[in-house]
Amino acid sequence: MIRKSRGFLLVGFVLSAFFLAGGCGKREPAVKIGFAGPLTGDQAAQGLDMLHGAELAVEEANAAGPILPGYKVELAAMDDSRSPAQAVTVAKKLAADPDVLAVVGHLNSSCTKPASAVYHEAKMLHINPVSSNPEISRQGFENFYRVCSTDDLQGPAGEQFAMQRLGAKRVFVIDDMTTYGRGLSNEFVKAAKAGGVQVLGQEGITQGEKDFSPLLTKIKSLAPDLIYFAGMYPEGALLMRQRMELNIPAKFMGGDGLFEPTLIQLATAQAADGVYITTLGGDIHQVPSAAGFVRSYEAKYGHMGAYAAYSYEATRIAIEAIRRAGAKDRQAVLAAMKGIKQYPGILGVHSFDARGDTTIRTIGIYTVRDGKFQFLESTN
Amino acid sequence: MSAGDLFLQQVINGLTIGSVYALIALGYTMVYGIIQLINFAHGEVFMVGAYLGLAAILGFGVSHSAAGSVALLLVVLALAAGGCSFLGLMIERVAYRPLRRAPKLSVLITAIGVSFFLQNAVMLSFGPLDRYIPPILPVVRWGNGSVGVTLMQVIIFAVSVSLMVGLQLVIYATPMGRAMRATAQDPLAARLMGISVDKVIAVTFAIGSALAGVGGVLFGLYYSTINFHDGYLTGLKAFTAAVLGGIGNIPGAMVGGLVLGLLEGLSAGYFSTQWKNVVTFLILVLVLLFRPRGLLGERVAERV
Amino acid sequence: MKLKYLLPVFFLLLPFIDSNPYHMDVFTTAALYALLALGLNLIVGFVGLLHLGYAAFFAIGAYTYALLNLRLGYPFWVGLPISAVTAGIAGVLLGLPAVRVRGDYLAIVTLGFGEIVRIAVTNCERWTGGPNGLLGIAHPTIGSFNFGVDSRPYYWLLFILVEATAWVCARLRRSRIGLAWGALREDELAARCIGVDATRLKLLALGLGGAIAGLAGCVFAAKQGTVTPDSFDFILSVMILAMVILGGLGSVRGAILGAAVLSIAPELLRSFSSYRMLLFGVMMIVLMRVRPQGLLGRRHVAP
Repeated sequence: MIRKSRGFLLVGFVLSAFFLAGGCGKREPAVKIGFAGPLTGDQAAQGLDMLHGAELAVEEANAAGPILPGYKVELAAMDDSRSPAQAVTVAKKLAADPDVLAVVGHLNSSCTKPASAVYHEAKMLHINPVSSNPEISRQGFENFYRVCSTDDLQGPAGEQFAMQRLGAKRVFVIDDMTTYGRGLSNEFVKAAKAGGVQVLGQEGITQGEKDFSPLLTKIKSLAPDLIYFAGMYPEGALLMRQRMELNIPAKFMGGDGLFEPTLIQLATAQAADGVYITTLGGDIHQVPSAAGFVRSYEAKYGHMGAYAAYSYEATRIAIEAIRRAGAKDRQAVLAAMKGIKQYPGILGVHSFDARGDTTIRTIGIYTVRDGKFQFLESTN
Repeated sequence: MSAGDLFLQQVINGLTIGSVYALIALGYTMVYGIIQLINFAHGEVFMVGAYLGLAAILGFGVSHSAAGSVALLLVVLALAAGGCSFLGLMIERVAYRPLRRAPKLSVLITAIGVSFFLQNAVMLSFGPLDRYIPPILPVVRWGNGSVGVTLMQVIIFAVSVSLMVGLQLVIYATPMGRAMRATAQDPLAARLMGISVDKVIAVTFAIGSALAGVGGVLFGLYYSTINFHDGYLTGLKAFTAAVLGGIGNIPGAMVGGLVLGLLEGLSAGYFSTQWKNVVTFLILVLVLLFRPRGLLGERVAERV
Repeated sequence: MKLKYLLPVFFLLLPFIDSNPYHMDVFTTAALYALLALGLNLIVGFVGLLHLGYAAFFAIGAYTYALLNLRLGYPFWVGLPISAVTAGIAGVLLGLPAVRVRGDYLAIVTLGFGEIVRIAVTNCERWTGGPNGLLGIAHPTIGSFNFGVDSRPYYWLLFILVEATAWVCARLRRSRIGLAWGALREDELAARCIGVDATRLKLLALGLGGAIAGLAGCVFAAKQGTVTPDSFDFILSVMILAMVILGGLGSVRGAILGAAVLSIAPELLRSFSSYRMLLFGVMMIVLMRVRPQGLLGRRHVAP
C-alpha cells in the first residue's frame, strides 16, 4: 500500500520537475507576430504556403532595419490542423504570450471564427489573410481585420458568371458543411434564386469522404447545367474525377478553396479541364506591385500557392502597425492599426471599412486548361 | 436518365465498393473464426496494401501498352498481396501469439495498439496528405449516356470474385484448408489430431492479409487518392460486412460485403450522403444486438 | 498515511508553485482527462466492460451545457448537474441494448454508438452548429468573478471534481456494488448464478461513467467557449482507454496517474509530436505484453 503511494508520488514529482525545469529558461526580449494555420493534416500544403508568405514578410522587414527600437520581430507559428478546437487552443497560447503583439491567421473560416473571439478577449490585433466567411467581420470585433474578399461577394460573382457566361439555368449545389463551405454555398444559392436560376438541390458532404458516386449519380439524374461546389480541394478533386467517370455533362464550378495546384494533380488534368473557379482576388502574377514578391518567394521556396500573397500582405500590415505603435503594447498596436489607410500592398491599395474588411473587393475567375489554372476575368 | 437507370447505376457503384469490403471482410472473418479475435489492425493492413501499391506503381512507372498495363496491374497486386501477407504474419507473431492465453481484453487492446502504430508509421513515412495514385489502366467506359460501368469497376468485381472462389477452393479442397476448418471448429481436438495450430493460425493471417492487400490496391486505383486514415473507416465497414454476413462464415463475408456496399450506395444516393456512415454503423450495431449470427452464420451456442 | 494526504495538497497548491500560464493549461487539461479516466475506469476497470465510445458521453455533456447556455441562458452551475444527468441517462440508454452482448462484441457496439453520436452531432446543423460547432458559450461565474480564459479557476474546479469522483469511486469499489461488479468482471456466468443482477449493475456502471463524462464535458465547454464535433472522436476514446490501462485497470489512483502521464508527456515531447500516436500504439502493445496490470493495477487471476 505504501509502496504504491510512493511510486505515485515519485512519478508525480518527476513529471512536475521536468515541467518546472522546462519553464525556467531565460527569455530573450522579443516581439512576436503570431501565425496560425494548418501546418499538419490534409491542408498542410496551403498552410505552409501561407507560413512561408508570412516568414518572407518578417524576414524582409527585419532586413530593412529595426521595426521597434531594441527588438527583432519574430514569427510565432502555430498549427491548428484545420480543427476549430485546436484553433482555439492555439489562439489561447498566442494570447497568453505577452511577446505576441498581433496575430495573422487562420486559414479556414471555421478556425478563424472561434479563434477571433479569443483574440478579441485578449484585445490584440488580428489580421486574417484568407478566411472569406462574411460573418467573421460581423461579430463587432474592433481588433479584427481582413485582407481578402468575402463570400458574400464570391458567391454572387460565381453565380453571375455561371448565369451570364455559361448560360446555366439549373444548378445543383454541394458544400462541405464547414463555416466556409456552407456559408459560400448559401451565398451562391441566395444569388441564384434572386437571379431566377433554378436550384435543384443543396447537399453537404463531409471532409475526408471519398466516395461521391452515389451523390453524383443522383445529381446526374436531375440533369443540371452546372454543379457548384463550395469546399476545399481534396474533396473537390475527387468530385471532379468521379464526375468525369460517371460521364456527367454538367459544368463544374467551385470556390477559392479549390484554387490550389494540387487540385489538378489529384483530379487529373483530364477531369479538371474546363472547370471554373472563383478566387478572392485577381491574378497575382498580373499585378505589377506583386512582381517583386513573387520573385522573392519563388526564389526562396519554389512554387507558390494561392494564399502566400495574402498572408504576406497581412503580415506586412501587422508589422506596419507595430512600427507605427512604437511600443511593445497591444493597445498601441491596435490604435496604430486604426490609423492605417490607403496602405500600398502587393494586392493593391488597402483601406479598411468599419468592420475591418479591406476595400479591395476583387473576385477573380479562373478556368483550368492544359493542366494549369488560366485567369479569365475579375470583377470589382 | 430514367429511374431504372439511376437505380442500376447506384447498384453498379455499390457492388464495386462492396467487392472491396468483401475482400477485407474475409480477413476479419477468418481470423475471428479461428481465434475469436477482432483483429483491429486488419484495416491498417488494407491501408498498407494501398500504399504498397502506390510505391510499386511509382517505382515501375506507368506503362502505355495494353500488355504492359495488365502486367503492371498483376505485378502490383502480387507485390501488395505478398507484402501484406508478410505484415500479417509479423503482427500475429509479435503482437498476438504471445497473448494467446491472455484475457480477451488485453488482446483487443494490443490490436488497437498495433492499429495505431501502423497508421502512424505510414503517416510518418508517406506524409499526412492525400497521395495520388496515377491510373495504370486507360479509362474505359461501357454503356450509354445514362448508365455505364468502367473498366476499373469490372476489374475490381472480377478480381474479388475470383479470389473468393479461390479461397473457397483452398478451404474445401486442400489439406491446409481442412486443417483450418478443423482448428476453427475445435482447436484442442485439432491439435490432438496432429495439426500444428500455430501454423494454421499463421496461414490464416497470411491469407487474410494478402486479400486485404489486394483490396487496398484496388481501392487505391479506384479512388486515385489514398490517405493513412483510410484503413480505420474502411476497416470498420468491412468488419460490419463480416458481422452482417455472419462472422466466422466465409461465404457470409462475401455476401455481407456486397450487401453492405449496396446498402451504403443506395442510402447515400436516395436518402442522404451525409448520413451514409451512420447507416453503416447502425447496421453494425443492430446486427450485433439482434442477430449476432448475421445473415449466413449458424446459431452460436454460448459455451457454458 | 501521511503520503496519502500530501499528494492532494501538492496538487492543490500547484498553481502557486508553478504559475506559468502554459503549464497551468496543461495541468488543467490533465485534470480534465483525469476526470474522464476515472469515469471510464469505472466501466472498464471495475466491471470489465470494454467501452470504445466513451468520447460520446463527453460530447453529450459538452453540447448539453452549450445548448442550455446559448439557447436558454442557463448559467454554468445549473448546466453542470444537468449535463451530468443527461450524459448519465445517455449512458444507460445506449447501454440498454448493449448489456446483453458478449465482451468483444460490446466493444464494437460501443464504438459504433460513439461514431453514430459524433456523426449525428456533425450533421444536425440546426441544433449543434454542424462541423463548425457552437460558439460563445459562457464561462462559469461566481458572484462577480468570471472564470474567463485563465486556467487556474478551472484547475481548482476540476481538482474538486476529481477528488470527489475518486472518493466516490473508491467507496463504491469497497461497497457491495463494487464487489458485485468485481464478480461480474471476473466471471459473469458464475456471478449470475449466485444472484448478481448483471443487467442492472452494468447499467449502473454505464450510467455513472456517463455522468462523470458529462461533468467533464460541461467544464470543457465552459472553458473553451466553443464546442466542435472534432474534439470528440474515436481517437479521444482510445486515448482515455489508454490512460486507464496505463494506470492500471480498476485502480482509481492509477486512472489519475495514467491521465497525468499521457497528457503531460506529449507536451514534454513536443518536438516528437508527430510520433505521439505511434508511441501510444507501441505503449499499448508493450504494456499488454509486459505489464498488463498497468502501473498501479493489481494482477488479475487469468481465466
